[in-house]
Amino acid sequence: MQYFWLIPVISFIAFIITSLVGNKILKQAWIFPVVAIILGLGIYCFGLTEYLQSRFDLEHCVRSSVTGMVGCNYSVGWFSAGVTGKETVDSFLGFTVDPLSLSVAGLAIFVALMVQIYSIGYMKDDPRFGWYYSVQALFISSMILLALSDNFLLLYVAWELVGLCSYLLIGFWYEKPDAKEAAKKAFTVTRLGDVGLLIGILLIWIEVGSFNMSDLFSYVASGQMESWVIFSISGLLFLGAMGKSAQFPFHVWLPDAMEGPTPVSALIHAATMVAAGVYLVARTYPLFVESEAMMLIVSIIGLITAIGAALICCVSIDLKRALAYSTISHLGLMMLSLGAFGYTAAILHLLAHGFSKALLFLGSGNIMHSIDDLDINRMGGLKSVLPGTTILFCIGALSLAGIPLLSGFWSKDEVIVSIVHNRNILFAISSMILVFLSGFYMIRLIIIPFFGTQNRDYSNAHKLPMVMLIPMGVLAVFVVLFGWVALYMPGLPSSFGTFLFYSHPKNFHLEPDIASITLVVTLLSFGAGYLFYVKRISIFQTFKTRMKFLITIIENKYYFDELYQILVDKIVLPIASLVALFDRVLVNDIGINGPGHITRSIGSLIRYHVTGRIYVYLGLMTSGMIILGILWLWIVRL
Amino acid sequence: MLELIHFNILSVLLFSVGLYGVLARKSAILIIMAIELMLNAVNINFIAAAAFKHGGGLFTNFDGHILTIFIITIAAAEVGLALALILRIFRNKSTVNVDQFDMMKL
Repeated sequence: MQYFWLIPVISFIAFIITSLVGNKILKQAWIFPVVAIILGLGIYCFGLTEYLQSRFDLEHCVRSSVTGMVGCNYSVGWFSAGVTGKETVDSFLGFTVDPLSLSVAGLAIFVALMVQIYSIGYMKDDPRFGWYYSVQALFISSMILLALSDNFLLLYVAWELVGLCSYLLIGFWYEKPDAKEAAKKAFTVTRLGDVGLLIGILLIWIEVGSFNMSDLFSYVASGQMESWVIFSISGLLFLGAMGKSAQFPFHVWLPDAMEGPTPVSALIHAATMVAAGVYLVARTYPLFVESEAMMLIVSIIGLITAIGAALICCVSIDLKRALAYSTISHLGLMMLSLGAFGYTAAILHLLAHGFSKALLFLGSGNIMHSIDDLDINRMGGLKSVLPGTTILFCIGALSLAGIPLLSGFWSKDEVIVSIVHNRNILFAISSMILVFLSGFYMIRLIIIPFFGTQNRDYSNAHKLPMVMLIPMGVLAVFVVLFGWVALYMPGLPSSFGTFLFYSHPKNFHLEPDIASITLVVTLLSFGAGYLFYVKRISIFQTFKTRMKFLITIIENKYYFDELYQILVDKIVLPIASLVALFDRVLVNDIGINGPGHITRSIGSLIRYHVTGRIYVYLGLMTSGMIILGILWLWIVRL
Repeated sequence: MLELIHFNILSVLLFSVGLYGVLARKSAILIIMAIELMLNAVNINFIAAAAFKHGGGLFTNFDGHILTIFIITIAAAEVGLALALILRIFRNKSTVNVDQFDMMKL
């Protein structure tokens, strides 16, 4: 376990090597990153087993009194702020191995491995194959660093690095102007949230005096922090989480981020980077639970995000956009669960959603590879052309919709249980609406492309190489089996709830009434979807025409992009031009060019005294002498 | 009685006459003569200052006289040098009118 720091380092070395020699070994540029990840996965599995078996005995591992879980901390000294010898503040560089970081890091490594193997087939003919793999290696290194780091400074560095890799990979095909714009949009919107994160981290430094997370938790647990400080710090950290995890109103970048290659969407925008926000809230949970108001805000924003995005997903035409909105909806659900004190449920849903959504995105990548088009209304009847993809896609979609026995069912069930227990009836009803909508749009995404009437000619569809199907198969196996982890965690006497919990272990017990209501609502949504899209019952057609106004608003994504464009045009750009004016006139023209200009003008005036005529010189000498004499008399004598 | 101030006034008057000569004469040789006049005015000032200040006991102060000797020596050397320069320029320009010595203008 003490070798966990090797995982990001090996991937970083792979990044450097691939970016240097990637162009020369173009077709084989995938070797270094994939090998690095396989090594990382090996180290991770060793570490995981070591943690599960002997975490109560190792000297670095201590049961945290705040979170209740056993965390193992390995750190080295980094820098000391202040004069050595006097009072200094020491900062350490280290990583912490506890169930939360193990879960998120495991998800990241595993999905990354699958995506990178998949990309061997998907990105095969791309001229910048080497650069793609180098940025993927950098991304994995930063994501593992983020998941493992134990102090906020390192977390912030890793946070920015994953944002950078997202920018580079979204704009990977920079020949397309849409991709460039989408990359800029993603970076800018997440940057807005990152400002909040930075200010929050600085506030933590001011309050606690250290960047270390356990120092923060013990400070909070000792009760020294005032409530408004707790509220503001958690609020600022939540701003950062909102930016990265595409919560309302920062959600606008994620659908446009689909301009990037599909494996990138599967890795970054489904499973790992967007999970970083949820991870941050979960990591700083001791801070959040101290503030009731903040938990309520987290729940409300999660709820708004979830339902809003689910509605847009129901009318979405492009398959990847629909999956993006579904991701936003599920991220909202995770935030809602965290706000409703459902810690275990949220992380379990993070993992289940990560596997399932990655599977779905890779499935859409298969469709893209075959027929080069993602418009749902122009597909139909794909099950005859892509039978394997159909099965795998259905597994992922049904898991997210909440079919029992698949992993999404267990995690969604736990989420609903926490919401019902800890929040009032309004939240419960809204979550039922959410369950209905998520089932509805998933059925829509299954029926129309795969089982509908064939809308076009598939005779020149490309065949799918095995290297693309095998990772999807492995992911599908995980999707199916992962749910059982909720019930029985290997190496532990009972469920996932005793592995990852907040303050006391929660054993899994099925609440039959809540589970049955959820199941009934899901089946109702399936029925509604079937009737809507397969049978095309006329009641629903009139429903569509009657609600045309609302549907238009939803289809236009609630006009958020237009609102932001107006804000940018009317407010941001004038302020920016004002600042540019300051920089151009005050700093450049007056401050820098000014002295040179003045010197030149004075010089061109003075140079006229060099006339060459002696009496002028003599006159100047005499008058200078007289002036000096007067000055001497005045200053010295009087 | 004669006071030091009278000699100072004499020296200042001679100096200003010399200064006027330097600034207002066109011939180089006359400028050199006026410079000599300035130097000698300063000599008078030094001798007078020496005469009116008593040395240790009853001995006369000799500081002014020594300085005057220095100045006369230097003036002689300098005039020699100046006349050599004037002769050089006269060979080129065939005039000693300083108004026409503007070869060093920009």
